[in-house]
Amino acid sequence: MAVKQRLLYLSAQSTDPRSPAISQALHEPVRGTISEIDPKRTSLDYETVHDAICDGWRVVHFPDQRGSLAGSEIDVFGYQFVLEKLEQFDD
Amino acid sequence: MTSSTGISVGNLLTDDQVADFVINGYHIVEPQFPADFHSKVYSELELLLMNPGDEINKAIPKIDQVYEHPAVTGALASLLGSDYTRAAHRHCHKNHPGTRSQAWHQDSLNIPTLDDGHGRISDHVQSVLVMYYPQHVASNMGPTALIPGSHLFTAAGDRNASHGNFRDQIVAVVPAGSVLILHYDIWHAGTANTSDQIRYMVKYLFERASESTEPSWNHDSENDAHIFERLERDEAALIQRSLVSKRNYRRTTMWNNLAGNAGLKYEYRDKWSGEWPQPNG
Repeated sequence: MAVKQRLLYLSAQSTDPRSPAISQALHEPVRGTISEIDPKRTSLDYETVHDAICDGWRVVHFPDQRGSLAGSEIDVFGYQFVLEKLEQFDD
Repeated sequence: MTSSTGISVGNLLTDDQVADFVINGYHIVEPQFPADFHSKVYSELELLLMNPGDEINKAIPKIDQVYEHPAVTGALASLLGSDYTRAAHRHCHKNHPGTRSQAWHQDSLNIPTLDDGHGRISDHVQSVLVMYYPQHVASNMGPTALIPGSHLFTAAGDRNASHGNFRDQIVAVVPAGSVLILHYDIWHAGTANTSDQIRYMVKYLFERASESTEPSWNHDSENDAHIFERLERDEAALIQRSLVSKRNYRRTTMWNNLAGNAGLKYEYRDKWSGEWPQPNG
């Protein structure tokens, strides 16, 4: 058994962690697992970043407050929070 | 009844359908063919020993019939003008069982004389991707996923690589013979095929040949106020508020570029009058 880091990328509508989540990607610390678009998914696991925090996730990266503003040539959807959970995994 | 260009008026899109395309970036057509038409196309695809690339239409001439069906040509004429052209590029995507999902991306022909490899046009419909599925596509057969409204924004695939699943993503779970018309710049991805069946998708590219001088669809100027409101209010996928003004501007400009001299004209109106907010329950 070893403590490993689970990673959850949640993009929110604003820098407010209570604003609605726009997208989500979960990365498990297990070799061979993948994280990809799931065509059967009809909702995200968490409505907001705050919901994820209430479920035990810890924010390790807060979004840059520079978003897509007038004049930007490249647009990025949402403001991305990165969260972690440290859990025991079998090696 | 046919238009002056020979396209049946009954197959042209309505104002609301064109607005749907401007807002969401896609339109689905289900052209009617004999019951076994698409299964025959599928069987012929199965016999191809190599990828014919642009010459998929020569390898299987039946496929051209799909793109020449009045329901398809009517939609294309509505979005690109009746003198639209078929581009040289075509491609058959063969999605085997076990294929993993693609990452979200905008297509590009990787043209070396353009600094972004393609030339994004976020406020017009200059070209469309037209995807034909010769078999029913179930959710486990690698359906095409897309983000409604994303055609209005320029993406960098590597910056979007950590998004994963979007709350408002759409997947094209469609019956055999469906034709999905996409704005060229929409963010999309083929998804994982976890079934035991190959999923084919044939893609053609169509382009605008001339600028519009008038709407090329079934337009009624009586709908202008309704369309203006839809372009301003309708949600596609949830985005940050700082992008909403850009989104609405590009929607309106796109509509006006399509409508030529029948474009929408902005007039101030009071959007805030009405009932007082109610106390929180």
